[in-house]
Amino acid sequence: MSNSILSLKKLNLAYNKTVVVPDLDLDVREGELIALLGPSGCGKTTTMRAIAGLMAPHSGTIHIDGKDVTRMPANKRGIGLVFQSYALFPHLNAFENVAFGLRLKKLAETEIKSKVEHGLQTVGLAHLATRKPAEMSGGQQQRLSLARSLVMEPKILLLDEPLSNLDARLRLDMRTELQRVQRETGVTMVFVTHDQSEALALADRIVLMKDGLIEQIGTPSELYNRPRTKFAADFFGFENIFKISGNALVGDAGSLQVSYQVDAEYLAWRPSAVTVGNGSYNGKIVGVAFAGEHIEYVLETLLGQITASSPAAERKFKVGETIKFDLPLASGFALYP
Amino acid sequence: MNSKLASRSIIVITLLFLIGPFGIIILAGLSAGDFMTFPPDGISLKWYAKVFEVKSFRASFALSMFLAIGGTIAALLLGIPAAYAISRYKIPFAETIKTIVAAPIIVPGIIVGLALLRYLVVPLNFTVTIALFLAHTALVLPYAVRVVSSSLNNLRSDMEEAAVLLGCSRVGAFIRVVLPNIRSGVLAAFILGFVTSFNQVPVSLFLSGPGVRTLPIDMLSYMEMTYDPSVAALSALLAFLSVAIVFIAEKFLGFSRYV
Ligand SMILES: Nc1ncnc2c1ncn2[C@@H]1O[C@H](COP(=O)(O)OP(=O)(O)OP(=O)(O)O)[C@@H](O)[C@H]1O
Ligand SMILES: [Mg+2]
Repeated sequence: MSNSILSLKKLNLAYNKTVVVPDLDLDVREGELIALLGPSGCGKTTTMRAIAGLMAPHSGTIHIDGKDVTRMPANKRGIGLVFQSYALFPHLNAFENVAFGLRLKKLAETEIKSKVEHGLQTVGLAHLATRKPAEMSGGQQQRLSLARSLVMEPKILLLDEPLSNLDARLRLDMRTELQRVQRETGVTMVFVTHDQSEALALADRIVLMKDGLIEQIGTPSELYNRPRTKFAADFFGFENIFKISGNALVGDAGSLQVSYQVDAEYLAWRPSAVTVGNGSYNGKIVGVAFAGEHIEYVLETLLGQITASSPAAERKFKVGETIKFDLPLASGFALYP
Repeated sequence: MNSKLASRSIIVITLLFLIGPFGIIILAGLSAGDFMTFPPDGISLKWYAKVFEVKSFRASFALSMFLAIGGTIAALLLGIPAAYAISRYKIPFAETIKTIVAAPIIVPGIIVGLALLRYLVVPLNFTVTIALFLAHTALVLPYAVRVVSSSLNNLRSDMEEAAVLLGCSRVGAFIRVVLPNIRSGVLAAFILGFVTSFNQVPVSLFLSGPGVRTLPIDMLSYMEMTYDPSVAALSALLAFLSVAIVFIAEKFLGFSRYV
């Protein structure tokens, strides 16, 4: 792709001899907001570090704006990184932390002041400008780290779980803020998250990773509605996934004869797609969780455990009850090899 | 109640043991007589005043100060980069390097002194001052590496990477981010090194030459000639100097965290 601002080709990343990312190809277009999503330990941080230039790839290339930067030192790449661990400077107060990079650019003091103040304002920390990082909460430190990178106005901003330590409300605020900054400045952002709902809400495209490999790339609606693999389906809320064998579903605990036959490899149901209260099979309720608008049930069945949910207004069941349930073909999602 | 009494008396006895000699020295220096005795022969400040008049004391004090300050600074200039390299980079034989660096405090000072004399001063014809300077630098180096290492290990390395991504060079990140955060460790190493060097006897004993002596050696030889209370007075003054330094360090740096 010629118009991509960031392009990774056949990237192989390893710590000593342990290969973490075997072969990664990725193209990011200018102004895009990419979410790097995947379970813990799948290589998200490692990938970010390689892009930023903090670790040299074993093989493969990194291009920024069409230029090969694979061997370019980190401080020349013009990339910002918000660390998972914040990496704030403990000896400097909030203002000076944010001003750090601007001072290195030798900007005029008045310009630095106005940029820093604006940056702190953006993340809602203007009132804590004179605090040291040690005197701030985890969420405040996280936002400070974000501000420190934002004021540098990098071409590409990498964010390693930038919102993980914020409470639900603040997280929503910061999401909106990130999107606004992104729209206003047109900065290309790659952010790491564990949280599929965050990826769905924020990203233009989602890169789903598993064991250092890309499992699937696509828009949020593509990944949510058309996951290609069992892993992707599992990640995007298909909590009940069963292998198909003839006209039986096969789960962890055993199999269940069904009335339909499909030539898919798996059939998957979101909790809300499982019928509870009527149907042809029996299951015993072993868990009930109130989740606001709906209630989640965990059923013990011939297949193993099934997660189902139904609107809170409907009839409620109790732990220990045996109820009827169904896994209708119509609400199932077929996964092919 | 009884056990409280017992523990109190243990504390008192311990303190007496530690501070007692110090008190004896102070009082012995206050003597009005001509010999070092305890209890002192009357009270006067004349021996304290005499300390400042003995020429060789002045010269050797200056030399000791120079060695303690200069040697410690040299040791820090070598030790800080060494400690940084050991803690941040995967250096082969890092443990071996640490042991070698610690050698001057493990090997008895007499042997270090003899070895330096035999293989450095005699064949290379170093002047006494240079030999003393090198020896003191080597003796302080282990402390510098140890103390600085421990404060580096408490410092997360990701902030250096953050500094680099904000535009610093590696060296710039070290100066702007690492040094300010290990400052108290460096000062603690300096004080520890200063005291170690200043009080050093066995190595200096071998390397001191005619007319060039460190203060402790000078005090020893003075005592061989003259057994007057001025040595006690000088010792008391030096002890006060040490206490003052440690007190200031503790007050401003929380020195005890590092030692
Ligand atoms: N410095 C290191 N030395 C050796 N192995 C490492 C190092 N850092 C990470 N790893 C390994 O590399 C793999 C990927 O780590 P990475 O930090 O990239 O995961 P991640 O996807 O960011 O996980 P998380 O979501 O938990 O932050 C893990 O298995 C980890 O154990
Ligand atoms: Mg990570």
